[in-house]
Amino acid sequence: MSLKSMVTGLTAAVAISLSFGVNAADTSSWSKDTVSGETDQAMHLEPDLENGRDIFEVCSACHMPEGWGMTDGTFPQLAGQHRPVLIKQLADIRALNRDNPTMYPFALPESIGDEQALADVTAYIEKLPMNPENGKGEWAEGTPEFEQGKKLYADNCVRCHGDHGEGNKEKFYPRIEGQHYAYMLRQFEWIRDGKRRNANPDMVDQIKNFTDKDMKMVINYVSRVLVDKKDLAPSANWTNPDFD
Amino acid sequence: MSKIRRLAVVMSAVAALMTGATAAAADGAALFKAKTCWSCHGKDAKTPLMPFYPSLAGQNAEYMFNQMKDIKSGARSNGNTAAMKGVMGLVNEEEMRVIADWLATLQ
Ligand code: HEC
Ligand code: HEC
Ligand code: HEC
Repeated sequence: MSLKSMVTGLTAAVAISLSFGVNAADTSSWSKDTVSGETDQAMHLEPDLENGRDIFEVCSACHMPEGWGMTDGTFPQLAGQHRPVLIKQLADIRALNRDNPTMYPFALPESIGDEQALADVTAYIEKLPMNPENGKGEWAEGTPEFEQGKKLYADNCVRCHGDHGEGNKEKFYPRIEGQHYAYMLRQFEWIRDGKRRNANPDMVDQIKNFTDKDMKMVINYVSRVLVDKKDLAPSANWTNPDFD
Repeated sequence: MSKIRRLAVVMSAVAALMTGATAAAADGAALFKAKTCWSCHGKDAKTPLMPFYPSLAGQNAEYMFNQMKDIKSGARSNGNTAAMKGVMGLVNEEEMRVIADWLATLQ
């Protein structure tokens, strides 16, 4: 499929999802600092997917041309993440709310560009199909640890991240289904221990008594949730045709 | 990881075809791409992402090899080395050597 045809095919879908995200955007206090000004503006702009692809090229060095990151968790999967979440995280990285020196230079306006560029690249990323073989935790379905993780998830996470980890676009709650286990474990620990300073205070409160084992069990469960086939690439060998 | 390796293989094949260069040079170019280096140092290794990031093309190979090792180990942790340290888990010493040798041949 050529870039052009892919771009045309996606434009309609993006226009719909955009107008949706914009109207419902949450403005509660925890996200106010980084969701304002230019990031707010980025969410309202009409994205140019072809330019988004061009900007994504440099990102692909680490996040891979498919946006799948690495299963060992060095780089997160970005494909399929909600646009408002991507925009907020980029703003937070830039504001040094996440200890992420490797990613930092790429979140700066000098490299990524202006609000329009931010709108373009995040729209492009959101539409990429996800990795059907994400990195998973060690406990398969049926083991006691898997079942315990499932219970922990139902009791502590569903209200924000949804029944199957789909997140909530309007409220900046990240999609966590299909994400790599090792990456999520690191982020979860950082959120629990206050190292991710942009974290949602209600989540921090919810998980403050989690032991390391609880944490592993719940993330193991999340990493094994089955993602809807329509959001996945047809196979793990799929390559992004935009980067032939 | 397998994806990176696949990319490296493809890249070295392409590079070897285009330049007819030695296997080592082709590997250096492929590694520089596959191991994320170009994102900060530029595809040609002399148009860095930030004006205050170093240009590497044509620098002395031994010097660069040592800098890579020190940035990876943390022995060199001044300036903006923290940015680079995050990707150094992707390369071993042998690969650093190949990349350094290749970078030194660039103009
Ligand atoms: C040199 C490697 C590198 C490059 C190039 C890079 N990133 Fe990243 N990125 C990372 C790392 C490492 C992390 C996760 C760090 C951590 O654990 O907090 C990350 C995290 C992110 C996140 C947060 C994801 C989440 O789930 O919260 C976003 C969004 C992101 N990157 C977008 C981009 C975009 C857009 C570009 C290109 C403009 C880009 N990155 C280029 C290394 C890179
Ligand atoms: C009160 C709402 C809330 C609850 C409850 C909650 N989270 Fe979160 N979670 C969030 C928000 C919001 C973020 C993004 C924070 C930010 O902007 O940095 C997040 C981020 C994360 C991340 C990092 C995602 C990424 O891409 O970087 C993981 C992993 C995660 N949550 C897992 C969980 C798990 C597992 C539970 C249950 C044990 C849970 N969360 C409970 C709101 C919540
Ligand atoms: C996230 C950005 C980033 C990535 C990715 C990156 N580097 Fe660097 N590199 C830097 C920065 C910044 C410096 C200068 C550090 C300082 O300010 O002291 C540097 C310094 C160097 C130096 C020393 C240069 C000198 O003159 O002292 C070498 C050699 C080098 N990098 C090679 C590499 C190689 C090889 C890779 C891939 C394996 C790589 N870099 C990946 C940012 C990066």
